[in-house]
Amino acid sequence: MNYTFDFNAVSLGPLLDGLIVTLKLTVAANIIGVVLGFPLALLIMSRVSAIRMPAMLFVEFFRCTPAIVQIVWFFYCVPMLFNVFLGSTTMGILALGLNLMAFNAEAYRASIQAVPREQVDAGIALGLNPLQRVLYIVLPNALRASVPVLLTNGIVIFQQSALVAIVAVQDLMYQAKTLATETYRPIETFTIAALIYFAVSFPVTQIVGHLERRRQVMTS
Amino acid sequence: MTSASAPLVSIRSLHKSYGPHIQVLKGLDIEMKPGERVVVIGPSGGGKSTLLRVMMGLEKIDSGSITFGGKPYISSANADAKTAINTDVRRSIGMVFQHYTLFPHLSVIQNLVLAPCKVRGEKKASATQRAQALLERFGLGGKANAFPAQLSGGQKQRVAIARALMLDPKLMLFDEVTSALDPELVAEVEQVILQLAEQNLPMMIVTHDMWFAKNIASRVIFCAGGVVVEDGPPEQVLGSPREERTRDFIDRVFHIKQ
Amino acid sequence: MSLDFSVLLRFQEALALGLWTTVKLTLICIVLGCSLGFLVGLSRTSPSAIVRGIASIYVEFFRGTPVLIQLFWIFFCLPLVLGVELSNLASGVIALTLYMGAITSETFRASLKSVGREQMDACIALGLPRRVQVTNVILPQAVLRAAPTLLSNCISLFKESALVSAVGMADLMFVGQNISNNTARPVEVLTIVALIYFAIAFPLTRAVTLVEGRILKKLAI
Repeated sequence: MNYTFDFNAVSLGPLLDGLIVTLKLTVAANIIGVVLGFPLALLIMSRVSAIRMPAMLFVEFFRCTPAIVQIVWFFYCVPMLFNVFLGSTTMGILALGLNLMAFNAEAYRASIQAVPREQVDAGIALGLNPLQRVLYIVLPNALRASVPVLLTNGIVIFQQSALVAIVAVQDLMYQAKTLATETYRPIETFTIAALIYFAVSFPVTQIVGHLERRRQVMTS
Repeated sequence: MTSASAPLVSIRSLHKSYGPHIQVLKGLDIEMKPGERVVVIGPSGGGKSTLLRVMMGLEKIDSGSITFGGKPYISSANADAKTAINTDVRRSIGMVFQHYTLFPHLSVIQNLVLAPCKVRGEKKASATQRAQALLERFGLGGKANAFPAQLSGGQKQRVAIARALMLDPKLMLFDEVTSALDPELVAEVEQVILQLAEQNLPMMIVTHDMWFAKNIASRVIFCAGGVVVEDGPPEQVLGSPREERTRDFIDRVFHIKQ
Repeated sequence: MSLDFSVLLRFQEALALGLWTTVKLTLICIVLGCSLGFLVGLSRTSPSAIVRGIASIYVEFFRGTPVLIQLFWIFFCLPLVLGVELSNLASGVIALTLYMGAITSETFRASLKSVGREQMDACIALGLPRRVQVTNVILPQAVLRAAPTLLSNCISLFKESALVSAVGMADLMFVGQNISNNTARPVEVLTIVALIYFAIAFPLTRAVTLVEGRILKKLAI
């Protein structure tokens, strides 16, 4: 290998600007996903098939197509179909937010349905009415169980957000691409960018692992 | 040939602890003669199951030694030393566990032939034939191709016993084999073990079932606090124990004293 | 605006070729990635701290960074590091294999862990040699338990494979984007492309649920 490394050639400034955009995208998409994912979960569990079916189709569409296809579709097609033109960051947030909403709805659904039958039976035996059973037994159980999955999904969307670079949103990935071309230093640039991504994800995955272990200890 | 009185198993000052504070076996000495059926009873945590697990070579020991048929089998000089286990000797001992431990991905007959084929290099056809005969004898002839998940607890435990017998063990260890069973399934498993007793197969049994203990034992050992408290024929240990602690335990089990 | 899906009829063959590249790439990387994942999963249970350490760093790094940046790194940087030219296909295969290896190693690790202590006791009580313990008892159970998650991993790989379009590999997504640019009909083209992905991935996700149920039933002891 006759490549001389020169990490000084890579200026961190643009990368950090990009990181801020990436974090904005992540946080905003997470707010959409965590908040709207829950009502969507209720829709996919509805007994009325006219409500359930479209909601399930929405969720399955996002879960069964590549995120890059969703994002490119969103950027090209939404303006043409609905005649709306939003800023590229806003478009990125919406595309990622809808995707996360679908995955989080599934997480909420799974944890609601995983509340053991005995818990609900105990509620009936104690004379709680259906609403009270949901509010005091099912939801607290389910929400606590869904936290690790929501966090994991949140960090996945942080990584997936790199895809918006393809449609020219100036996030960390986009800045890295530009910088790599300008400086002819792809190895240094992409390595530093990857390390930045890693530095944000890794602590979160460690927290998730910790939460899951604690949960296992508590429930066993 | 060993003479009738030479010991089959000889356990000398066996010590075993879990971590620095929990001492389970505190110098256990037991001699077992050929053809004996020893039932070990005693309170939970008294070291009964640990004793069987040590004899099977599943646990490290701190110190002590075990010989089997006159040959050195397990020994350790101190807690930091490696526990030496003679694996050839280990192969002549069979064990059945509380939770069946059948291999869930293998059918009943595959569970039975795995070890003879792989350990002794027996031909598959001959092992299958022996296995089928054993299953017939235990009333499981029709279950050869079933998977463990399709059997009742009693059936699973009978399969587990048959699996251990496939290796023609010289000693069988039964560790609370009926404890996980529904009450109505206990008898079918105990019947199978009584069948083996008629053939004078040496065995060591840990059980909480005093009726079974009385019926199968040629000798009963009461184990508590990691040592042998009383050791004698079933009529003595179960009927009129000499030691205060044994009497206390027996009374409690039969609900005589409150 | 009016939609006209008939434009796509002219590009049937191109789309089919793109899909074939996607499927081919996915299948190659499933085979390579699962093998790598199994080895790495085993390494993470190794008694040697160095082996464990290297395996964890690999897994954590590939799980902790965007696949897109991994792909770019391998596409642009690996040739510089190695000093050899890599074809688009080779870079794609390397990148997606490394991705698949990282995610399946976690699957294998979890399933190896789920084969309980009691099964090991039974192996010892039956005097099974170490090699037989692994090949006849632990491995088959681990693979069975891992099967549903592995299938999910394959679906993820199939979806992630669309990323290779970003480095110019002519997969389904790349072909779709080209047609969309040439015809100026992104809505029709990209929708069809999305539907093709969906038509393959969706039935597979149903299969995961089926397989899961059957295996749980079989392994219930």
